[in-house]
Amino acid sequence: MGIVFTRLFSSLFGNKEARILVLGLDNAGKTTILYRLQMGEVVSTIPTIGFNVETVQYNNIKFQVWDLGGQTSIRPYWRCYFPNTQAIIYVVDSSDTDRLVVAREEFHAILEEEELKGAIVLIFANKQDLPGALDDAAVTEALELHKIKNRQWAIFKTSAIKGEGLFEGLDWLSNTLKSGGG
Amino acid sequence: MFSLFYGLWKYAFSKTEFHVLILGIDKAGKTTLLEKLKSHYCNVEGLPADRIVPTVGLNIGRVELSNTKLVFWDLGGQPGLRSIWEKYYEEAHAVIYVVDAANPSRFEDSKSALEKVLQHEDLQGAPLLILANKQDRAEAASAEELSRYLDLKKLDERLYTFQAVSAIDGLGIKESVSWLVDAMERSKRTQMLRVRAGSSAV
Repeated sequence: MGIVFTRLFSSLFGNKEARILVLGLDNAGKTTILYRLQMGEVVSTIPTIGFNVETVQYNNIKFQVWDLGGQTSIRPYWRCYFPNTQAIIYVVDSSDTDRLVVAREEFHAILEEEELKGAIVLIFANKQDLPGALDDAAVTEALELHKIKNRQWAIFKTSAIKGEGLFEGLDWLSNTLKSGGG
Repeated sequence: MFSLFYGLWKYAFSKTEFHVLILGIDKAGKTTLLEKLKSHYCNVEGLPADRIVPTVGLNIGRVELSNTKLVFWDLGGQPGLRSIWEKYYEEAHAVIYVVDAANPSRFEDSKSALEKVLQHEDLQGAPLLILANKQDRAEAASAEELSRYLDLKKLDERLYTFQAVSAIDGLGIKESVSWLVDAMERSKRTQMLRVRAGSSAV
């Protein structure tokens, strides 16, 4: 699987530094997804600015992961990670219907960020292996994705545990970035 | 006073931006059309047809013509995803409805989805361009044949036309876009949207 991924992204960004943010509430499955992609070692860091960011460097693409929600005091520091972001991968626990409202609010708040205006958005409706998980149409509705009108977006049903749906999503991501993005 | 003249100047010289929805059932060729539009008008290489996957969200194409800007919204057409179409209606100036003219077995599905679109009040008066796509296939129905199959009622007060196209080889694309731009410039809906945008800006 790692090889497929190599092919997908090797020619994508040339030598330019690129950044992809992997965001979502805690326990959405973000880290599991990164492990599934087998791109390299996930490095967990607690930088001095005081929140936990996981980084995977893959060629010249930096995948950076952190939890949204809670801790409003550290939010301004998130912006350190915004410049040069080509894409946001937003991961949702589709079975955690109680927290979908929070997931929606956090999602739209982050899309408001000036420096992220040009980033395209890939949504993973994750944990499809769990009973009661909402499907892509229902998650689309719950996250109010239709409010996004100025950038491209796509949603994929995934199970990070089983490794399903992840590559379809990344395929979309790489195609879209190639054909000019947002 | 200055702001008045500035407003006038902006009104006279800024390009109008039109939002065009690309709708149709799954496998009609909406995204292939979008890529063709992008490559035709933006001098960018569109995604080759064999790399296009079913859309599960929104694709956007921005095209700049001599005096207008077009923003195309291409929405996924699978049954479960059609519920989000209407969320984009309010801001749309016109609709392109794409039909796979080479697949008569799905004309009925196309027809009922289109009828639902046309009934929606948020799309009142929006010009409608119906594309008989996939003309690169020998078995494709012509624009006239398709219009007979679809047998649409209650279209009289709406600007509409049928056009035979191929999103693969580009047949009919230019004619389609020029019809669309002309129709949007003439349509009452455009005025209505402009007034609404103006009043919300104040």
